Amino acid sequence: MFKKKVTLKILLLLIASDVLETAVHFCFKKSTLGSTFGQVTDLATMVVFLKTVFASPFLWAGLLVVATVFILWSMILSKIDLSVAVPIASFSYILVPLVSIIFLHEQIAALRWVGVFFVLAGVVLVSLSSKERTEQVK
Amino acid sequence: MKPNLLLILSLIAFTSLCDTVNQLCLKSTIDALNFKPKLNVVNILKFIFQLIIQPRIWLGLVFSLISLSVWLVVLSKTDLNFAFSADSMHYIFIALASHFVLKEKMSVHRWLGTGLIVLGIVFVSMS
Repeated sequence: MFKKKVTLKILLLLIASDVLETAVHFCFKKSTLGSTFGQVTDLATMVVFLKTVFASPFLWAGLLVVATVFILWSMILSKIDLSVAVPIASFSYILVPLVSIIFLHEQIAALRWVGVFFVLAGVVLVSLSSKERTEQVK
Repeated sequence: MKPNLLLILSLIAFTSLCDTVNQLCLKSTIDALNFKPKLNVVNILKFIFQLIIQPRIWLGLVFSLISLSVWLVVLSKTDLNFAFSADSMHYIFIALASHFVLKEKMSVHRWLGTGLIVLGIVFVSMS
């Protein structure tokens, strides 16, 4: 029964994993920006590509944060259902576009924000359904 | 639809599938360990040690490495904000896997929410 209950501690762990997750994606994108390589079309070009990317400090910074998120996730998943944990950890759907605009100077069209809104709405709905279930258990 | 978009979406779907397999590996291993809820440094270290001796954790790691490699290719070809939103298709895979593999109960609301996420990805891809 406890495995469904989202406590404040679990919520904080989820928010921490959110912020770190956003940092991971930023680092990974950065690592593919600085390098010079051709199009990845087959395994050989993929190896060349990966060699270049793995030489970037951004990639290793990202991986370090991934390891931290992995430990956080392991703790979270031992407490609550996977189908409850994953949706709550999704504030990064707002954080990543914001980071993309501010630090990567990407353009985001209105329709894309609409899409982001739908994804978020879906996530909220999924989270609410977990609350409903907890109340039923009581 | 640009021809490139289909390729990028397929690549993202592939990384999402790998991620789902990884999550299934983690969740099923952790469930089997039946970790006691008290959180302190000793327990966490014990927990990590118990985890790293499980073969399924390493299988999960292999899948996440494959996912990472393909993900980096995706990032080199497209904007981060697009790739990240489109990557939410892992919700669909995780919902299905949670239902069919882990036998977690999925309510109508949860399926509806997953449906909205699908719709969101469509909008994000259209722009």
